[in-house]
Amino acid sequence: MIINIENLFIRSEDQILVENLSLTVQSGRPMTILGETGSGKSLLANAIVGILPTGLSQEGLISLFGRADLSLAERQALWGREIAVLPQEPWLALNPIMPLQEQVREVGELVMGQSDDQSRRRSTSLLHKLGLAKDHAKIPSQLSGGMAQRGAFAAATYAGAQLLIADEPTKGLDASRRDQIGAMLKQHGQQGALLTITHDVQLAAQIGGDIMVMRQGQVLEQGSAQEVLNAPKSDYAKALINAQSDRWPLRAQRPTGENQLIVRGLSKQRGGKTLFRDWDFEVRRGEVLGLCGDSGCGKSTLADLLLGLVKADSGQIKATVPFGPQQCLKLYQDPPSAFAPGVTLGQLLEDLIRLHKLDRQPIGPLMQQLKLDPGLLARSASGVSGGELQRFAILRALLMQPKLLVADEPTSRLDPITAREVTELLVDAARSSGCTLLLISHDSGAMQRVCDRILQFTPDRPLLSEPLLGARAQQCA
Amino acid sequence: MLKFDLRAPTTLLGVFLLFALLILVLFEQLAHGVDGTVQLLDNAFALPSWQEPLGTDQFGRSNLARLSAAIQISLWMSLLCVITAATLGTVAGIAAAWLRGWVDASIGFVVNVLMALPGLILVLLIGALFPGSFTALYIAISLVLWVEFFRVVRAQTLSLLASPEIEASRLYGFGPLYLFRRHLLPRLLPSLLPLACFGAGNAILALASIGFVYVGLQPPRAELGLMMVELFPYYSDAPWVLAQPVLCVFALILSFNLIAGGFRHDH
Repeated sequence: MIINIENLFIRSEDQILVENLSLTVQSGRPMTILGETGSGKSLLANAIVGILPTGLSQEGLISLFGRADLSLAERQALWGREIAVLPQEPWLALNPIMPLQEQVREVGELVMGQSDDQSRRRSTSLLHKLGLAKDHAKIPSQLSGGMAQRGAFAAATYAGAQLLIADEPTKGLDASRRDQIGAMLKQHGQQGALLTITHDVQLAAQIGGDIMVMRQGQVLEQGSAQEVLNAPKSDYAKALINAQSDRWPLRAQRPTGENQLIVRGLSKQRGGKTLFRDWDFEVRRGEVLGLCGDSGCGKSTLADLLLGLVKADSGQIKATVPFGPQQCLKLYQDPPSAFAPGVTLGQLLEDLIRLHKLDRQPIGPLMQQLKLDPGLLARSASGVSGGELQRFAILRALLMQPKLLVADEPTSRLDPITAREVTELLVDAARSSGCTLLLISHDSGAMQRVCDRILQFTPDRPLLSEPLLGARAQQCA
Repeated sequence: MLKFDLRAPTTLLGVFLLFALLILVLFEQLAHGVDGTVQLLDNAFALPSWQEPLGTDQFGRSNLARLSAAIQISLWMSLLCVITAATLGTVAGIAAAWLRGWVDASIGFVVNVLMALPGLILVLLIGALFPGSFTALYIAISLVLWVEFFRVVRAQTLSLLASPEIEASRLYGFGPLYLFRRHLLPRLLPSLLPLACFGAGNAILALASIGFVYVGLQPPRAELGLMMVELFPYYSDAPWVLAQPVLCVFALILSFNLIAGGFRHDH
């Protein structure tokens, strides 16, 4: 038994963060802890490694490699050699100014005491195996999210640790990258011991082994992956599994509207990189158009161009019916960053109503439609949850009766259940008010089910597709 | 949101020191009632008594009255300078960040010229040109202080103007005044208030420094730096008199610096 935890409690001064948790991890039998952010999952990883934040206390038994009485110094001696941690958002964990191979090679030199030559050879072969042979000299800012993730994986597993702890390894990665990292983890899980902490049901399914569902520090259920994923017992696990984007109800419609925007010969460069050149496409009135592509490919820039926030290098965007003022609006990825601090949401709404002499009448029904509690208006942006704030942002936008609404990754910071709810409300509200919705997302599964048309970024041209047929076919199969 | 945290012992000490000095001034104004300019030469360096709780100086003038007048001058000077510098620096900083182009370039040029010579030299220069003038010193010190406000405000405004919250408000059609009131000011205050406290400390130090080299306010005015240099020849006869203005300057500056540390930015 690699990890054996019995009756673990983690407490802060005024609350219990992890309650009575017991689990075991063995070699060849991966363990996945599934639950939303803030449910105490990451604290568990900290407790195992021995780096619980100060101010928190733990109680109960954690034994590693059959030893329960490890001191912090003894645990530290295991770091890297026996226990490896794959960090969240690895592009932040890598050294930003050091070439990738150097960072991997350092592990050999500093942790294992290898010679320069040895570590160089091993790091080269490791990078080669992970498909990073060509990128060994790049620094993290030149790597994509997926490449950085694999680079961090190389560094974390270099010393051949038996136990690998992966904390939200797929956060912010799109589907294809997620499958890659899932395959890497799965492979490790077959030989060594693997503890994965995630909110991503698909990743959990891919890894297999055992699953434990956690919410607010409590274990709701546990069992083999097949059992839990196919026949979840707790309501929360059911909701979490149903919130996966490939299970969303189909919202896409066959696009019918006439053209609203006609784009011709659009080109834009940023930081010396060509984002797109000579693009032609149309946006139809009232459709839900998805913008899909890797991070950094220029999705947000294209949306800002359509909103008129950024100027194109060349080409033109023509509206068939000119937009009035404040008819092109935007929803942001991180809801709290899009609101003024220190004032109540009600005050912000009041500011808007006074500025534009808006009719108050639609507010009540809209709030109902968006499932917003009137009590929220008395709180400030920092006092409500991300999902509530994003729904309030939708309310604020729809009050202006916009013709074009850009939603830039509106749910990527929300947990899956809330993300599904917000996306559905957004799409329904946009449809019922006849507003064109431009949805930017890296979750292509969700886009397939929600968008009328999808604009896929490819190196030379925009690839427009209608996912409806494909998604319908998938549903029948 | 911005909070002033009184619980930290250092902050508490700062507030206590400032209050103690204000109470000294208040006591002198209400209960003492002796003219600090009246000389009684046969009563020089009198020890503290009920009539003169802090004793007298080399001309037999009341130390308490002179100290109180000097503290008032220092506090008024720092208050005026900080208000002027903060207003000027904030307006100029926002203007530079907002308008960019030639406005930014020309304000930046002025700031670089001002930064090229040490602040105290500029104050000395103006002090020497207009000896004994409170107004000239006020302008000189403000001129040195506003640069810091400008730099901080300009840098923060630049990044704030690119932030989603301001982009959103602009898309909704809100004008510059609204953006200032709702977005810029609440975000800037957490850095402006500590800066203002440090500025007040610096203003007091500058006034005392040039008083000490006889370039600032002139006798018979009571000013902390001037009092130090006047009492300096008697340091072996009456060290306890010399110690009074020294301790006052120390307490004033320390209190403002400690208070500056009490501002917390809570989310």
